[in-house]
Order: sequence, then C-alpha cells, then structure tokens
Amino acid sequence: MSAFYAWVGGLAQNGLLPSDFQYPFLVRGFLCVLVLAPILGGLSHLVVTRRMAFFSAALGQAALTGVAIGLLLGEPLNAPYGGMFGFCLITTLGMVYVKRHSTLPPDTLIGVFHALTLGLGLCLLVLLTRQFNVHQVESVLFGSLLTVTDGDLLLLLAVGIVVAVLLVRQYNKLLLDSLSPPLASVAGAESAFLEYFFAILLTLSIVVSLKVIGALLVEALVLVPAASARNIARGTRQYFVWSVIVAFMAGVGGLGVSTRLLVPTGGAVVLAASAIFFLTLAIGRLARRRGSRAEQPDAG
Amino acid sequence: MTTPAPPLIEFVGVSLRRNRELLLADVTFSIQPQTIHVIVGPNGAGKTTLLAALLGQAAFAGRIVAHWRGTGNIGFVPQAFSVDASLPVTVEDFLALTRQRLPVCFGVRPATRQRIATLLREVGLAGLETRPLSVLSGGELRRVLLAHALDPRPELLILDEPGAGLDERGVGRLEQVLADVKAAGTTVVMVSHDLDQVRRLADCVTVLDRSVIGQGAATETLALDHVRALLPSGVSRTGGAGSPERPPMARARSAGRSGH
Repeated sequence: MSAFYAWVGGLAQNGLLPSDFQYPFLVRGFLCVLVLAPILGGLSHLVVTRRMAFFSAALGQAALTGVAIGLLLGEPLNAPYGGMFGFCLITTLGMVYVKRHSTLPPDTLIGVFHALTLGLGLCLLVLLTRQFNVHQVESVLFGSLLTVTDGDLLLLLAVGIVVAVLLVRQYNKLLLDSLSPPLASVAGAESAFLEYFFAILLTLSIVVSLKVIGALLVEALVLVPAASARNIARGTRQYFVWSVIVAFMAGVGGLGVSTRLLVPTGGAVVLAASAIFFLTLAIGRLARRRGSRAEQPDAG
Repeated sequence: MTTPAPPLIEFVGVSLRRNRELLLADVTFSIQPQTIHVIVGPNGAGKTTLLAALLGQAAFAGRIVAHWRGTGNIGFVPQAFSVDASLPVTVEDFLALTRQRLPVCFGVRPATRQRIATLLREVGLAGLETRPLSVLSGGELRRVLLAHALDPRPELLILDEPGAGLDERGVGRLEQVLADVKAAGTTVVMVSHDLDQVRRLADCVTVLDRSVIGQGAATETLALDHVRALLPSGVSRTGGAGSPERPPMARARSAGRSGH
C-alpha cells in the first residue's frame, strides 16, 4: 500500500490531485469514503423505508459497549472488532427476536435495548479508565482518520463487497416486505428471515464504519443520506442514487473540514450530511411549489 | 357414474385464537374450483383472519387443504395497504419488485416495463406508471394491488374487500376483471360487505360469524332469517374498517397445511 500512497502523493505534488493527497492518512480516508458511501448510502434508504432509524441509533450505542468489552477482554486499542462485532450481533439478534415476539410497539422495545446498552457501556467505560486513558477511546466514539489503518480499510472493503452482494440478491424482497409484509409473504419472501438478514447486514456495516465515523455518529450516516434523497427523489432508482451521492458528498466534505479545522471526522461528516439535508429540503420544497404552480390553470 | 371433482380448498375444523380470544371456531367448508366464492359476515366475524390462515400468515388448529390443478399460484389483494407520504416508490417500481430479478433501485428492465403497462391497462390505470404510490387515491391503489395480484395468472385469487374505496366505474371494472379471470380458470375467494355486489358476482357465499352459519347460493343464503338478522341490510361499499393483519409468520404457498 505504501507504494500506492507514494504514487498518489507524487500526483498531488505535481498538481494533478489536490495537495491534501500528499498525506497517506488522507488518501486512506478518501478510500474509506469511496467504500462507505455506497454501503451506508445504499443501506440508508432501506433503513428509512423499513423504519429502522432508532434501531441504528441503538446499534451505535451497542458498539460503544462492545468496544469497552473488547478492550477489557484484552483486544488491541486500535482494533477491538471482536468485542464490537460480538456485542452488536447479540444486541441485534436480541432486538429483532423480542420485537417479533412481543406485542409492545417496536420503538418502545428498541428504547429498552438502547437504555440497557448505554447503561452497560457507561459502567464498563468507568472500569476501562482504570486501564486506559479514556481519551484513547475517543476515536471510537467520534471517529478519527488518524487511527484508520490499512487493515481497517481492507476489512471495510471486504465487508462492503459481502454486504453489497447479499443486498443485491434480496433487495426486491426487502423493499416489498417493507411496503407490505403480507404481499411479500405471498410472493414467497420469509418476513422473519428478511428482518434478521437486514439487521445483520446493517450491524456489519455499522461496525466496520466506526473507525471513520465514530460510534455516536454512525447512526446519522445511515439516516441522513436517505432523508436527504427523499426530499428530491422521484422513484426508487433516484432514491438509491441520491442516497449514495449524499453519503459520498458528506464523506468527502467532512474529510476536508476535519483536516482543515482539526475536528473529529465523524462530527464533520455528519455536519456536512446535515447541511446537504437542509439544502435538499429547500430544493424539494421549491420544486413542489413550481410543480403545483404549473398544474394550476391560468387565472388571468 | 362419475365422482365429483374435489374442491380446490377445504377448511376442516379450523380454529384460531389470538391473545386467548377465539377468533375462529371449528370452521369447516370448501371452495369449488373456477368459482367466485364470497365470505360475508359482520365486523369482527373473522373474515380477514380466515384469509390470513389460508395464506399461511396466522397459526391455526385444524386443516386447510389445497387440491391444486395447475400452477398453485396465489394472487392476493390485502384489506390494508398504507404508504408513507414521502416514499418515492412509483407504481412501476412497486409492480417491478416481483417481476424482475434486477434490484429495482438499479432501474426497471424494458421487458418488465412493457408487462407492467399491459397490466395497468387491464385494470384501467394506463399511464400511471411514474406516479408515486403515495399520491394515488384509495381506489387507484386498490386497482394497482389488483394488477399486482393478476400477474402471473393465479390459480387462486384472494381479495379482502376489493371494492372498498372504488367508485361506481371502478366497481364495474373490478367485477368485469373478476368475471374474466374466473372464465380463464381462476378460483376467486373474496371478502365483501357489499351485499348487492355479492348477489351479482358470487357463485357461492359463506356466512361467517367466527364459525360458519350458512353456505350456498348467494340469493338463497342471504335471504335466510338468521343471516338477515346478522348482516346489515344496506350496502357498505366503503367497509374495510379495522386494523391490518399482523405480519405473516409463514409462507403462503403450499399444497396443504395444518396448524395447531
């Protein structure tokens, strides 16, 4: 990878790429955004359609607790993936199982899990401060490009490919199940399978994104791109494409802001995504106003 | 002497409880092939629940046996279908979901597009392909669902109050479509509150009030004293009140099922 970074750095020095690309960590960050945008953007429009925004928030908190568990069990500070994957997966399966077998509303049940994982995470973080300086886990909370390694990038790429392939195979059934579970069932889709399947894909994607975006902010990147896309999309294809574009623009914009103002990457990415959301909100309203004016008969 | 052909669907002692409440009690009747069979009954009689059991979407005690003669394809028009107001899924996207393997977010194939245009013409919605589902009227949405249920041509078409929300013209077109699919060999099972429509369409009526309280030809069955006492005398085209069924727990398509 170092030869690749040197080659990109050379292009930057010769003025063929922006000067920021002289730094390997920024090239790595850009590559992360290139992989993250289609994964999180692609998932985000299904997350919103399936009304799983709160679910994603609970998963972000669970990741924080997973980090604490991983570190307490002796995982390295820069890659506590075992704890994160393990605890997030258990939380995901627990949330879906209880949701399917309880008569309580889903947001109430997810709220219970949200509170449980947060409470456990806080207790474990206090325990953790006896072993580590709590600032050392800041990068997991808020995301940091400086701590992203080539290993993280490769893991992100591998998970991204797996998630994309699996998602493509089940996409139509997932969308139909989101619109009408009885119709999806008649079409041969297993609603329970689809619910667990999508929740697990979402968990995998969130966990591998944490080093860049951070546990507290990753939920925003699986929500805001789709929310922005909804403001302007006219059809499923545009909904998907705009979600990916917004995720990519937010990623690149956030990276630029993060490196120039020396603020956490996750925060900068989410701010950029939110700015795009309000921009699309205004564009959407303007377009609708023009559309309704065009439909009105001439009064004059 | 020839033995009569077996029915397409047999309900044998079907009972169903939800939250300890008995919603269906020992329901036994059969549905003959290539007929329009209408299930009527007051609100809360268990009509939608019975369809959920037939579709494999609710656990039950007893047996439901299907004697398929052809593909075993099932078409279904649900009672409730709510669409989020800001969801940018068009009519074409929705109908393409089960008609192409390519994820709809990558686009709709030209062949699928043609097939959808034909389907929409069949239900009187030509030209509505690019309209978002969220802006359709209740009647238009019902017809989109009917179009969805008609392709591929089902051996069994199940409709839960298909006339709800339709205007006179829409009802007329619906009845014509049902007559056409029956003539093409499809068996239609339908829940309806519109007794005039039932008299016009039904080859056979089952009156349900958690258990079967009458079955036979429409005019005679609906004229029975205990049935007239149970059913409202007026026409209720907007019926369809009530909450949607809970999500399915099992696959719909199987030759014979029994629950417990």
